[in-house]
Amino acid sequence: MNFAQNSSIQKPTPPDKGSFPLDHDSECSKPMMDYMKCLKDNQNQSRLCMEFSKLYLQCRMDNNLMAKEDMDNFGFENVKNAKIVQAPKYNPNEPIVAGLSRRNNNK
Amino acid sequence: NNNEFKDEKRKTLDEKNKTTAMYVAITIIMVLGASYAAVPLYRVFCRVTGFGGTVREADEFDIVRKRDLNRTVYPFKVTFTASTANKIPWSFKPTQSTIECVPGEPVLCFYRATNNTDTPIIGVATYNITPMKAGSYFTKIQCFCFDEQRINAHETIDMPVLFVIEPEILDDKSMKGVSDITLSYTFFKSND
Repeated sequence: MNFAQNSSIQKPTPPDKGSFPLDHDSECSKPMMDYMKCLKDNQNQSRLCMEFSKLYLQCRMDNNLMAKEDMDNFGFENVKNAKIVQAPKYNPNEPIVAGLSRRNNNK
Repeated sequence: NNNEFKDEKRKTLDEKNKTTAMYVAITIIMVLGASYAAVPLYRVFCRVTGFGGTVREADEFDIVRKRDLNRTVYPFKVTFTASTANKIPWSFKPTQSTIECVPGEPVLCFYRATNNTDTPIIGVATYNITPMKAGSYFTKIQCFCFDEQRINAHETIDMPVLFVIEPEILDDKSMKGVSDITLSYTFFKSND
């Protein structure tokens, strides 16, 4: 992969909070299975399963598998402020006509 | 008389040539010396001012990014794939095939690895994001990549990834029409 050719390709960056230690003793399997079940029930929409995410992260923190942190720092609550709309329809084959400004797309 | 004049002229010319040559030689030596001295000088400069990213404070790790989500967002579908390289004798799969999430939301997902052999194996994971330009908006808060992971014989481990799609992806015009992102993890065997 030649990064010099395309500068928009990002090199893989390390994670912000580092690496999760491995859960060898399956201490947090139950919160994990609850979360997976919630995803299955909700068509894999993760914003409806935030509580289960928090429970899993809390389990990790309690069992020393993750650095202890305030739940608010992750930003779970921010999602409630967002207005969720449908993705705008985008036709990649829409031609560009010289002189005509694109009507639907924003400036 | 004419010869004497010529001799004198030649003498002053020689002297001038000698002084010029001396000046040039001194300049060369000074420049050479400066280029050798630059190496330790730069080191001191960087240490004092912290330029060049050589100095990093410990609390940068804890600075929490506040993402402003008082806006309209649309959901992205993140697909998960997993692969192993070098014929590692373990199975490595994502526990969920896709997740629908919105930018700014911290999303939890899992990968499951099973060691089918009788000996512990040490592996390292790396990831890739497609489409490429979405990679700069994909922030991993915590994952299991780039660190050696050891899985014991006949052990199954669930490895989580906590990630966020940055809300700035919605403002980027080159990302218009992108609503599918694929996260691929590859496990390599560590040679230790």
